[in-house]
Amino acid sequence: MTSGTPDLGSQLAKIKGAKVIKSFCYTCPWQCPTEVFVRDGKVVYHKGNPESPNNIGSRCAKGMASWYVTQDPDRLKFPLLRTNAKGGPGQFKRVSWDEAFAFIADKLKHIKDKWGPEAVAFTCHHDPNSHFYWHLLRDLYGSPNMYTHTSGCEQDRRAACLTLFGHVFPMHDFANSRYVMLWGMNMLGANQGLWESRALMEAKNKGCKLVVVDPNFTETAQKADEWVPIQPGTDGAMALAMCRVIIDDNLYDSDFVNKYCEGFAGFRDHVRDKGYTPQWAEPICGIPAATITRLAREFASTKPAMSAIFKGSGYYTNGADAGRACYILDAITGELDKPGNLHLKDWAPLAPAVNIPEDAKGKATKPPLHIAMGYPLAPDLPNARLPNAVINADPYPVKALFVQSTNPVMSDPNRDAVQEMFKQLELAVTCEIYMSETALESDIVLPETSFYEHAEIRQGMWLGPEVVLCQPAVAPPGEAKPAYEIVKGIAQKMGWGQYFPYEKWEDWGELMMKDIPMSLAELKQKGFWAGPIRYHRVPEGLATPSTKVEIYSKAYADAGFDPYPVYRERSVKPDAQYPLQVTHSKFSMHCNIVTQNNPYLMEICGENWVEINTLDAQKYGIQDDSYVVVESPKDQIKIKAKVVEGLVPGCVSIRHGHGFGHWAMGTHAKGKGAHSNNLMDSYTNPITGANCYNECKVRVRPA
Amino acid sequence: MQYGFYFDHKRCVKCHACEIACKTWNEVEIGPRWREVVKITSGTFPNVTAMNVSMACMHCGDAPCRNACPVNAISKRTEDGIVLVDQNKCIGCGFCTWACPFNAPQLSAMAGKMEKCNFCQTPGKERPLGMPRACEEICPTGAIRSGSMTELASSGRERAAERLAAQGLPGLILDAQQRFGVAGGD
Repeated sequence: MTSGTPDLGSQLAKIKGAKVIKSFCYTCPWQCPTEVFVRDGKVVYHKGNPESPNNIGSRCAKGMASWYVTQDPDRLKFPLLRTNAKGGPGQFKRVSWDEAFAFIADKLKHIKDKWGPEAVAFTCHHDPNSHFYWHLLRDLYGSPNMYTHTSGCEQDRRAACLTLFGHVFPMHDFANSRYVMLWGMNMLGANQGLWESRALMEAKNKGCKLVVVDPNFTETAQKADEWVPIQPGTDGAMALAMCRVIIDDNLYDSDFVNKYCEGFAGFRDHVRDKGYTPQWAEPICGIPAATITRLAREFASTKPAMSAIFKGSGYYTNGADAGRACYILDAITGELDKPGNLHLKDWAPLAPAVNIPEDAKGKATKPPLHIAMGYPLAPDLPNARLPNAVINADPYPVKALFVQSTNPVMSDPNRDAVQEMFKQLELAVTCEIYMSETALESDIVLPETSFYEHAEIRQGMWLGPEVVLCQPAVAPPGEAKPAYEIVKGIAQKMGWGQYFPYEKWEDWGELMMKDIPMSLAELKQKGFWAGPIRYHRVPEGLATPSTKVEIYSKAYADAGFDPYPVYRERSVKPDAQYPLQVTHSKFSMHCNIVTQNNPYLMEICGENWVEINTLDAQKYGIQDDSYVVVESPKDQIKIKAKVVEGLVPGCVSIRHGHGFGHWAMGTHAKGKGAHSNNLMDSYTNPITGANCYNECKVRVRPA
Repeated sequence: MQYGFYFDHKRCVKCHACEIACKTWNEVEIGPRWREVVKITSGTFPNVTAMNVSMACMHCGDAPCRNACPVNAISKRTEDGIVLVDQNKCIGCGFCTWACPFNAPQLSAMAGKMEKCNFCQTPGKERPLGMPRACEEICPTGAIRSGSMTELASSGRERAAERLAAQGLPGLILDAQQRFGVAGGD
């Protein structure tokens, strides 16, 4: 019997005297299907759903420990209304839901009358039930400004994949791959799409070569056959040089580029005209030209292969072109959407939970913020520009912000600016499960339910099309409500109650499932629906304007950018005063800003730290495990230092810099570690609008 | 019969899920860590290597902790070799923690008693042998296996053969393909 045995859960549940509820985990956005064990109204255990291709019965540490949120005394229990003036930490009084809904509805009506519907923006993490808010604020109210967290995440990746392949989020078919090249992507340490971790390890076991290009010796680099310790912010140069080798050596797939790519000949001339050779890249990347040449030849001659990025090649002002260059390696070698390649996953045909009739829809009078700000190619709001929009009414007045399940005060760069933004907002609504740092700056705080306490139906994050379900397993604390009830409550006060006619979650659940070949009743029994994986979709035509892989990007050209990726230096470079380059890396046992009040995870890792190479530590008198001051031109933090070999000299790596150093949230989180997001300014990628957390130079001294 | 763990450090990605699964299943408080993943790094930049090891009680054949216990609170089950602590007898002296080469016994500050991995035999929550242990069940990469030492030795050989086959060593490819149906290298 293994963890994938289907009836293991029922046998274990018998031992625990518990009932099993099929659900999914929303600690991180990979939403692994789970089996939650409930006894006497409490979660007593939970495990991975063994039938799900997503996690094959397994879990990660943060998901496994997540049951604690159902018992955490620090959870928000009641709606809270601010009683003191903005500008300092909020003081709040408990109000009823009815008062909360009325307060929000009155403010919304006032703002729309005075400033127009686009003066209200919405932001969330990875849209947990957020579509209900969108139906209210976008469809009925008329604001075009519904955003998620992406600019603080893989915005450059999204932009690259959309413009090249017409796909927002390709998956990785590691299991069938023979050569995997990951750029700034700590798949095994940070992301934890568990089937991907397992597939990568299985592939490696079968002889697949793993190459990790990263200034940090990450958990993934640790498992790699080759770690390429590149200078930060230079991935684009190395990828372009690799493309040049592949082209000059005739190792590209001429059939593929002729049939299925736009602009290959132009790209060939471009890399030659610009002189993107391994010799040119060597001093930029800190990688020998011979290594770049060898890797290019290996990559192009081993099939199936995959070159993929996540966040690390972004986070710089040159990250957009770096991302495109890394993915053009897939395109010119014809390694796309075949087994073992980057996979252009099908999405499940989920229907809307709420249908707003056309004649009831609100109309915006201005374009969405990202367009008005000058980022037409941004897949999501350039978060770092939002404070400027609010504070200076640039490009137009933004007066209200709805925040759901995200914490911009901690997660966005330049904390000073974000806090000033909240001070200026006429209405800040935070829907949260904790009194987060953002909640503390808000006018009204609404206690949401956790994924153990509400229902949600959403796209699964697996190779094939997939639907995953989470269903209420235990009662929420106090008066906490799910998003769909909160939205309905506000809508009723706005006079739009009839558009949210559901009485129980199954009512909208049935609507969402109407085009899925599985009934809601069956989904409740099984926890997920998975369709077949389809490969070889490139010949069918892609969702790009030309239906081809757009190596030449007309969208880039139209927006005034180079249609082929170029290499430019990042904006901030170390100097004599601030000699070290900031990079960031994550912890595997913490997820962003959400897990630091969990004592089980804090027991494993209760504070974050900055890593520094031995050579630099000697230079600046830094001892391992001692506290140091990390100082940028903008701010300084006191943080523990770890002296390591696995980091490019001249860099520091701030681990989990925007997840620690909470000054709110709860007893276990508060005051642990250091928050690093005020070290950097509001740098934004000029093309994609991504937050550039690594555009930051520092100096380090013993504390 | 001796039961135990097989651990494949090449697969372990140090995600720590095994630690939390162990705690959750056996309802272990904050403090004692029955299982802990450690990372051992060596080399100098840029030639760095690291190895992850998920450590717990090894349920040793001749358990030093049992020999060190002054009150005979530690016993080794004859049928499966699992080393258990009788909390009623334990006086919390900590001799076992000094004797154990793996730092497996953990003193609970709250109870003032020693506790450690009991192979998921916590009273009232015993997992029958043959089922995966909590740490094993949860592992995303299949790095931990439990079973009788005979089973584990053969699965260890299987993994080694798979790897050698993937590296393309001729004799072993043949052997592995015949025995395990494993695809060889190029």
